[in-house]
Amino acid sequence: MNVEIADLTRRFGRTQAVAGVDLEAGPGVFGLLGPNGAGKTTLLRMLATVIPPSSGTLRLLGRDPGGYGGRRQIRRRLGYLPQNLGYYPGFTVADFVEYFALLKEMPPGRVPAVVAAAVERVDLGDKARSKLRTLSGGMLRRAGIAQAIVNEPDLLLLDEPTAGLDPEQRVAFRALLRDLAQRATVIVSTHLVEDVGAACSEVAVMDTGRIVFHGTPDELTVRAEGTDAAGDSQLERGYSAVLAAARATAGARS
Amino acid sequence: MNTDETGPRLGGFEVRLETELVRVVAERAAAVARTETAPSMWRRPGRLELAAGRLLRSPGLARALVTTPSLLLLWLIASAVVLAAGAVATLSSGRPWVALMAPAVAAAGIAYAYGPGIDPAWELSRSMAVSDRLVLLVRALAVFGLDAGLGVAASAASGTAAGITFGWLVPMTAVCALALAVATVSRSANAGVAAGLGGWALLIVSEQAATGRYTEAVTSSGLMLPYLAFAAACVAVALCATRIPKGTS
Repeated sequence: MNVEIADLTRRFGRTQAVAGVDLEAGPGVFGLLGPNGAGKTTLLRMLATVIPPSSGTLRLLGRDPGGYGGRRQIRRRLGYLPQNLGYYPGFTVADFVEYFALLKEMPPGRVPAVVAAAVERVDLGDKARSKLRTLSGGMLRRAGIAQAIVNEPDLLLLDEPTAGLDPEQRVAFRALLRDLAQRATVIVSTHLVEDVGAACSEVAVMDTGRIVFHGTPDELTVRAEGTDAAGDSQLERGYSAVLAAARATAGARS
Repeated sequence: MNTDETGPRLGGFEVRLETELVRVVAERAAAVARTETAPSMWRRPGRLELAAGRLLRSPGLARALVTTPSLLLLWLIASAVVLAAGAVATLSSGRPWVALMAPAVAAAGIAYAYGPGIDPAWELSRSMAVSDRLVLLVRALAVFGLDAGLGVAASAASGTAAGITFGWLVPMTAVCALALAVATVSRSANAGVAAGLGGWALLIVSEQAATGRYTEAVTSSGLMLPYLAFAAACVAVALCATRIPKGTS
């Protein structure tokens, strides 16, 4: 398993952002669904080793990210696209991807080829020498994806990767995800249920810091049966039904 | 790209539509790949970067070092303009304006060097194998080195006395360390700049009140050891502020 999480929590002051998550994930595309504030981004940031957990056990790629050595080894094999991608406006697309390839400690001799490949894979080859400040939101997102995949990561974490992409780009992106997931664990946080239906082999639904559903997209679809849950597709209705059931249970407990 | 899987949960029309779109996109990607754009997008590292890579034993840190001026271009221009004006003022008035300005200019640059709320790609940098602390260190060194060079050039151009010319390097270290510590603790470049400029101004004024000479802050040899001790303390604070935080916050 590339991701092993047991009873993971994260607090920010009095706010419990992640409240006891258990999860295991191997190669494949894993979708993380949930409403705003459900804890998806905080969970991804812990998986990306950007912030440590408050408690619980976290093992990534068979290593403990708590120690410097383990964290460094994990980060060499990690790809991460944050929700809010910060960038240097004066960098070109190639400079940007190359900079992070070097910070991932890739062998310098390999860097030109892998940067070119990553930029081509997100269809930004003709924009490789363009400054980031001149790109559209969708192109910037693709530049962010390029830096995430430049090291051919074994663990790829993408927070709202399709935000700003047009339909053609989203389709290409899903195909890219399926390609990468043949050998890597790809965890995609999104609120777009259709992305999960089209690309993910497994899905978890989060609400108020907890995982309230974990299964396949088909199993999520089945949850809609016998309910009047709202949604434009069966998967959306399943998602709504899971959230409604989780909230009803939480309400009954309190 | 894998074009076989198209999402079996979609309806028939959607599956055909998506299959067609995947085919078109894949054909286009293959055509682009054939153009072999790799050599044209690759920028060879310069001599400075290659030397820095060997010295730091990290091509990533070397790239962080050499790209710092481009990330802080406005600061670099402002530093040059301020110190040039200082050199002119020193020449015309005979007072050591360059020595008094150099620490303040460098402190402002250091505060903008790196960190949460300062570096736009901070979160991304935080997930990299090369420690973000080391990136912070090389960026601070780049800013310090450039400002020291500009200060020396401005001092030489203004013909200031040797004692004052090199006296400002040690206070500059202390003021820069203060700006760095405040910027990383407060996660605000502006707070770092304010602390650096305010602290330096306060010191000049207080030394003038005590001795009657406003150049005392850069000429007094008795202050050099306290400056260095203060700088070390501030660096320790900055290191503490940039550590991986413990669980509960």
